Amino acid sequence: MAAQNNPQTCLDPVHEMSRRRVLGVLGGLAGFGSLLNPSVSRALEKKEKQVCLIWLDGGISQYESWHPRPGTRFAGPFRSIPTRVPGVHFSELMQHTARIADKISVIRTMETKDPNHSTGVPRIQRGDPIDRGVLYPYLGSAVSKLLGPADPALPPYIWIKPGNGGFIHREAGFLGARHGALALGDGRPPVHIHRPSGISAENDTARNALRKKANERFRANRGAAEIDAYETSYEMAERLMARKEIFDESTLSQKDKERYGSHPLGRHILQARQLLEAGVRFIKVNSYHWDTHGDNFNMSQRLVPQVDRPFAALVEDLDERGMLDNVLVVVMSEFGRTPNVNSRMGRDHWPDCWSLALAGCGIRQGAIIGETAKDGAWVDGTGYDIGDLFHTIFTVLGIDSKRARYEHKGQKLAIAHDKCKSIREVML
Amino acid sequence: MMFLGMRTTSLLALTLFLAAPRLPAGDGQLTGIIDSHIARLSGGSLSSPSDDAEFFRRIHLDLAGIIPSAGETREFLADASPGKRTVLADRLLGSKDFSVHWADLLSVELLKRQNLGKVQPREWQAFLRRCLEKKPQWNRIVHTMIAATGTGPDRAAMKFLGTGGHHQMTRDIAMLFLGMDLECARCHDHPSVKTWEQADYWGLYAYLNWTRAATNSKDKKEYLVEVLGKSEIEYQSVFESVSDTTGPRLPGLPEKTVPELAKGEEFSSPAANGLPPVPIFLPRKELAADLTSPKNLAFARNSVNRFWARLMGRGIIHPLDQVHPGNAPSHPQLLEEMAGLFISRDYDLKWLLRSILLSDSYQRSSRLSGKSATASPESYRQALPRALTPEQLLHSVLRATGNLEKTRGLKADPTKKFDRKGYFTGTHQELPESYEEIRAVFIQTFGQPPGEPETEFAPGLNQSLFLMNDRLLLSWLQPVDNNLVQRLGAFKTPAEISENLYLEVLSRLPTEAETTDLGLYLEKNGERRTAALGELAWALINSTEFRLNH
Repeated sequence: MAAQNNPQTCLDPVHEMSRRRVLGVLGGLAGFGSLLNPSVSRALEKKEKQVCLIWLDGGISQYESWHPRPGTRFAGPFRSIPTRVPGVHFSELMQHTARIADKISVIRTMETKDPNHSTGVPRIQRGDPIDRGVLYPYLGSAVSKLLGPADPALPPYIWIKPGNGGFIHREAGFLGARHGALALGDGRPPVHIHRPSGISAENDTARNALRKKANERFRANRGAAEIDAYETSYEMAERLMARKEIFDESTLSQKDKERYGSHPLGRHILQARQLLEAGVRFIKVNSYHWDTHGDNFNMSQRLVPQVDRPFAALVEDLDERGMLDNVLVVVMSEFGRTPNVNSRMGRDHWPDCWSLALAGCGIRQGAIIGETAKDGAWVDGTGYDIGDLFHTIFTVLGIDSKRARYEHKGQKLAIAHDKCKSIREVML
Repeated sequence: MMFLGMRTTSLLALTLFLAAPRLPAGDGQLTGIIDSHIARLSGGSLSSPSDDAEFFRRIHLDLAGIIPSAGETREFLADASPGKRTVLADRLLGSKDFSVHWADLLSVELLKRQNLGKVQPREWQAFLRRCLEKKPQWNRIVHTMIAATGTGPDRAAMKFLGTGGHHQMTRDIAMLFLGMDLECARCHDHPSVKTWEQADYWGLYAYLNWTRAATNSKDKKEYLVEVLGKSEIEYQSVFESVSDTTGPRLPGLPEKTVPELAKGEEFSSPAANGLPPVPIFLPRKELAADLTSPKNLAFARNSVNRFWARLMGRGIIHPLDQVHPGNAPSHPQLLEEMAGLFISRDYDLKWLLRSILLSDSYQRSSRLSGKSATASPESYRQALPRALTPEQLLHSVLRATGNLEKTRGLKADPTKKFDRKGYFTGTHQELPESYEEIRAVFIQTFGQPPGEPETEFAPGLNQSLFLMNDRLLLSWLQPVDNNLVQRLGAFKTPAEISENLYLEVLSRLPTEAETTDLGLYLEKNGERRTAALGELAWALINSTEFRLNH
């Protein structure tokens, strides 16, 4: 019966009326209290900032993607190819992205601390803030907390991943379960979003009318917040069910499916586009098995095109739809891979100098950030830590990352590492 | 018309009850104290007493963890004897259902649905049930858990301490038994609660840091042992560079002196079977005694506050883990007197619960009285609604739909594997077939994730989607095996159907308006009568009235 986490941020009041009783639980409802306030709905007419994080779990090799070094001691068998940006080359495995290099930024000098997956993945996705004895939220939960839903009928944080889905709370950290993700396992929404075939739409409406009537009667002379909270959870369920077509892959054109690719990552990035268009605030797309300790080159040859093609298609599509001004796309891993090739033709973990890509939402176009030394093995000068990236992401989303605070059990907590700062070079 | 008659009878019974002879001296003392304090500080009109049906449902959910059956409700409503509420409270407090349900409640509170340590959940539940039978003394139960080593008949009690992680034990004990959420105080004095100092955290920690989990090489079982260590702990604030030290100390009490024993004389028994020698001075055992001692008023105060909140929907100090001077109790005198009497009654848990249950304050209606549109919850002017726990909800849905006995008996088929994750994503089509799996499905949907306390009612989208569309739940509304919907189908008139439906699901008689509406719905759906009956039952199962203990 101990009180539960009731974190509150000190940000825009628009997003702060939600919380606590009126709606809670599992990302699905984070911030939905705003529903009750018509002025907030008007706010949502505005162009909301959105994020698509493409997470390549295990660590994509920078040499076989963003930062090829052909002709050096660390080179692999692949050529480098010119891109749309004069003087900038990518690996030949990135031919589609090379075409749109003028729309994105690449940071080639990420320098982080943790060479292990088990600790590195959470450390990176939490932004590695100063340890204050609490478990920080992953980026998606953080953004869903800080900005709330972009469309009040939709969960703010959706995670598309291979394997199982459901309401996954563990990424929310101290923000509490309600700021977790609605996960689409293999791209599928939770089964309970579907009305069983035996119940027609008409009968569903009729049974819900009975339910509402019963609630109306129960409400007489009772003013409890519990009643509001419970009714609102049904309203949300009805709204999401009414919009379940946003999860329906069959509405996507065959041409798009070909452009994005038929492998899971391609399908899931296409699905992310669909959800961005529908108004979901934050979407993470996970791809696994990028950990190429053995046979790095064959694996990269197979894997890298799987992100190259749909990432390029996504950026093109967002640009064409005029959405790139407000949607941030991030492609990254928990670290890069070693310059040295090991005895199994693999590359091991390398947090000391690695690359990632950003696009949209106030990110410069066609910029390559950071100089490397020793054939790409080390950062030349000062690298960027993950805290710097978090400040950058929050900043382009319109959050004052230096001043905004979470409030947790009476403590005010910085939302990103206190000693880090935005990477100005990558921002417009 | 029948409904009106019943209500008059129950009101009459209630009047008689209120005028009933006083309870034996001493037993009713706290009950009177509660009511006088609540009335004194009410700040407005108190709600009228609950009617018999409202009371009957509430006390069943609170003590037995399930709504009453329609038959039991009918019988209680018809019973005209004046002391029937007291008789009922005593019967339920002595029932097996009570120890089963309260073992669930305590387990969720203590372990937060984590499977800690190596003791099997089944043994742990059995331990808690044993504790709750007959005359449970709360200080003894807590003492047993904190001093647990894994030896003797209460071996399972060690599950509370898990694998003996020092920080986890410190946090949990401070929160559960002192109402202090000291998480922040591990690294510095609490930023907003002035009285919670880093020294409080480390003083408690100093009682616990000799504890280790160790395996006996002979019987291969795990035990929680204490290994001779330092008598003082050194700690440092993250904000300052000076360190400080403390020995074992409870917040607000003096530091304990760890006896300095001569070398060779520190142990009561030597190392054996891979277990270390047993020190004569055992700090954790000392903690169990110091914490639960009558001298530690904070323990008694926190205990009554938590049990009160269980039955009344809110702590006198609220939130429950914010027990400090900056968070004033709503009824300070009541809390002090209740804590004092609890100590003088040897921490008799059932006495405490009974005293609350028999009060007018517990037995008030959840409707506000007269014209008042709102009443602050801390006034307790009306009964506060509480969400059903996942277990209460499952059992109540099963009983309401007439599937309880059948479902409770369902055993897992070892040749089949139910893929729960797949069930929620739609890749596993088969419904769960065993009671254990069905229970797990409900806990996953309606409970908090392991490690998070279940306190606030925060109904989620996933819960509503489940109640609307879950195939298993909907299958319980198909007319089979003489369940609710099948039985309703046998009645002819809307009045009969309505009376039975409302008694079975909402544990009360319907109003005339409700019966009229039901009749209209059936008339409109005359050609699909069975489906319509299922929809009527579904609507009540999904109603706020059902979802809350009100």
